Formats: sequence, C-alpha cells, structure tokens
Amino acid sequence: MIIPITVAAPCSPNLLPPSLAKISHGEVVLIELQGSLNIECDEATDRNGQLVGILRVDETGNKPTLTIGHHFLEGKVVSLAKPIAILLRDNAEIEDCEHSQEAKPWRITALVKRKIVFSKRPMPITKQP
Amino acid sequence: MASTSDIQLNFSQNSLQEAGSYKLLELPSDLCNLVESSLDNATSLSLSIKGQENEEAVLCTQDRTYTVRSVVLSNTILIVKSSDSGGNSVDIRDQVNNILELAPCVPKLQKLDLLLRGKIYDENLAGMEIDSETTVSGLSIPFLLPRIELRKGTGLTYEQAKLDIQASDEELIRALKDRRILVINGELRPITPGYLLQILELVLTILVSLSLPHDAAPVDELSSILANDHEVSQTVTKQIIAWFGEVEDDKWKMDVRAVVGEMGLNLLREHRREPIAEDLLLTKWKSCVGDTFQSAISLDLLSGNYIKSNENSVSECTMLTYFPASALSADPAARFAHLFLARPRWKGDEISPFLNDIAVDKKERDKLLLKYCRAIIEAGSVWYTSRAQYNI
Repeated sequence: MIIPITVAAPCSPNLLPPSLAKISHGEVVLIELQGSLNIECDEATDRNGQLVGILRVDETGNKPTLTIGHHFLEGKVVSLAKPIAILLRDNAEIEDCEHSQEAKPWRITALVKRKIVFSKRPMPITKQP
Repeated sequence: MASTSDIQLNFSQNSLQEAGSYKLLELPSDLCNLVESSLDNATSLSLSIKGQENEEAVLCTQDRTYTVRSVVLSNTILIVKSSDSGGNSVDIRDQVNNILELAPCVPKLQKLDLLLRGKIYDENLAGMEIDSETTVSGLSIPFLLPRIELRKGTGLTYEQAKLDIQASDEELIRALKDRRILVINGELRPITPGYLLQILELVLTILVSLSLPHDAAPVDELSSILANDHEVSQTVTKQIIAWFGEVEDDKWKMDVRAVVGEMGLNLLREHRREPIAEDLLLTKWKSCVGDTFQSAISLDLLSGNYIKSNENSVSECTMLTYFPASALSADPAARFAHLFLARPRWKGDEISPFLNDIAVDKKERDKLLLKYCRAIIEAGSVWYTSRAQYNI
C-alpha cells in the first residue's frame, strides 16, 4: 500500500493575526498544552464554534498568555528541535477514496519551526479582566 | 476591556469532522530542506508512505527511505489557524497527541529476493519470451520467436515491485542493477550468473575482434551482433551493458572495474566450500579477462564477497572462500551470528564490507559493532569478537 504525500501550500492563504503569524508561520501556529482540553457538552457538535479562551501575545512576541475561564496560563515561544511538517488529509479526494482500496493522500501544508508552549500550571484569577 | 491584541481562540465550526485530519511529521534536516524549497518555489515534491499492514511503515523520497515511528506525547498540541470569519479570532482545527518521527534507514530489499524466487532468466529462455517493447530501454524490440505462451500475471512487474518493496524509486533501480535483475516484458527476472558471464565474455570478444573502443562502443552494433550470432535478445544486452557502464548517444563506455569484478566474482563463486589460494585466483582471473584489462584486477573489487583465511600456515599463502554479504540475513543479530560462525574474530576493515547493506552510514555501522561485538585491540589493530554466545 502506498500513501502519497504531496507538498502544496493552500491556494487561498488565510492569514493569522499578525502577532501569531510572526511566531513561525503565516497560517498555522502550534500551541502545546500540558494536559488537554476537557469539554463537557451533551452533543459532541455543541462545541463547534465555541470560544475556548483569549490568547494574548506581547509586543516582543515572546510572552504568550492564555485565559480560559478563571484560569490564566503563561507560556513561552520555543524553537523546535526538528522542524515539523503539518500534514492535512486531502479532503477533496476522500469521497472517491472511501470506495476504493486506495489510501487517502496527505498534503504537507506548512513547515513550522517554533511553537507556543504553555507548560506551567494555570493560575486562578478571581476577576475576569 | 478587550484590547485589540486579544485573540479569540475558538473551536472551529466543524471541529468534529476535522478531528484526525491533521498529523505532525518531524523532519530530519535533509528532508526539511527538500520540503522547504518545494514550498518556496511551488515545485512538486512527491513523498510516499509505503508498507503492507503487517510491515512497519517507511517514508520514501525520490532517493531515500526513512522509518516512520509514531511517538505519543503527554501534552496536547493544538493546530490553530485563522478562522474563516477573519478578524482577531483563530480556530483550533485539530488536537493531536502524537507526532511522527523519521529516521533514515536502509531500503528493505530482502523481500525482492523472496518475491523473485523461481523467476530466474538464463540462456534456455533467451529469445523465447520477448515479444513486446519494454519500458526500461524505451526502445521498440522487434517481434522475436514468441514460442512460449507468456505466463502473464505470474511474475512480479516493476510497477508491482514499486508498490510492494519498501524502498525509494532510485534505491529500487539501484537494487535491480546490483542484484542483476532484468526487466523483461515489464516483469523482473534475475539473470543467472553463468549466463551473465557468458554475455559479458561475448561482449569482450566482440570488442576485441572488431577492434571497437571499450570506452565508446556502438550499442546498436554490439546488440545486433549478439542477437544475430548468439541469440541474445537486444533488450537483455542493452540492460546488461547499462549495468556495466554508461550509455550515451548510442555509445557504451564500459566500466572496466565492474566487468572485471564480475568475472572475478564468478571465479570466486565456485569456492564456497573449497577455499582457493589468493595467488591462484589472481592468475586465473588474469587469464580470464585478457591482457587489456589485467591492470584493473584487484581484490577490492570482490570486497564483501570473500573471507580470507590462513589455514595453511606452513606455505603462508592466503586462502579465499566465497562468502557473499548478499546471502546473509538482514536482521543484525542473525547476521552477526552468521559472521561469527564463519570466523570467530574479524578485523575492523574486514567486517565492515559485510555490514554496509544493513547500516545507513558509518555511524550506524559503528553502533551495530558496539552492540553486537566486543572490540579487542591487539598489535595496533582492532579485532571484533562475538559479544554473546549465539546458539543456532
């Protein structure tokens, strides 16, 4: 079996806000959280489009913070030991591929060299800013 | 109180459908350069992940192979892109808990030998099975004696090998050359050493008798003489001379070392059990290649195919035994077990030719030596002995 991987930047770039775009890549940013986001909702689709939190990046671009509800996280921007390619399953061809034995193709959409890491414990905040 | 630098982090509108559609792939620097230049210049670069369900996946570029390993992370990585609505909000497109790591590896070609068992090609079959043009030479081959019904579908085609063998395209092509595998009617057929030697000898004879230059021999003339006088098909000739030299503008530049090496190998091949004295082999070899190419003879051409022994210490002559690296197991533990069965101790430079095809580079080879051998330094040279007592 062969899974083809192509390299192609998306044709219509949807740029990130400038403070995030300058971290590593114009369109994608990786945010690493210690732990995971736990969501309680009745229907799994309820989370679609919901607000997770507020992300701020200071002017130097090195001190990102994330506020999720009453939790406040301080993070940092780190360089990756090895660059990471972001692979996206090619949705356009999924329809055709599901019926055949062919593997779904993947596409390298971006190459990222730095990421935002929130590695500290969240601090509780009493007042919503 | 939200200032303009606040960025809203949302789940995307169809977060469920998008879940699992992203993967992160860690790139080694050489591959990173390839991808980077491809992204910058919008040139196409095709990579592929190959493997059957029961095999470990590998990623192949045009000329290299990497093993793919999925590493689980304790942290979550959010893949964040700008939202379709734009502005100062961004969407979490996917959350991943693992990352794919790549490590360069040697192409997994052993399967090729298994798949090609019983598909050998020799003089008895010559001229019988070629009935259509082949894709490799790109030249149309005239209709030749189609006496045998082609057993289509029973053989391994080049296209199928590309799917089944975990190797990049260039590595596969090199493997076909190294293993002397012909492509006949699109099917892979290893040529027997005897028939290969016979053809090479014919080629040399023709070169001498017609006084053709060995660095610019006309391909068409050579192949048509072989076809007309010796019933060697033109497809076969053309593929063989491409293994043993370079073809450019219908001129063949013979790789003297390769041809001489093949002839020496053929002499050596008869001495799998009965060792032959080094001097005797060299004498036979010289008479076999003729005066013109004698100077190219060197034992280095046979490296990785023989072991030396000094059994007959009275006469102090070195004995050689045929011991091809290609017949050894690809699994390092089994290979070292085999090597130490053949000889209890090896010199560093003697053992390395037997490890080249299972190690990507020198560093990898040294790692294997460290893992499976015990090194002893004696009189200034390094000897390797078995680290474990293997029982087979």
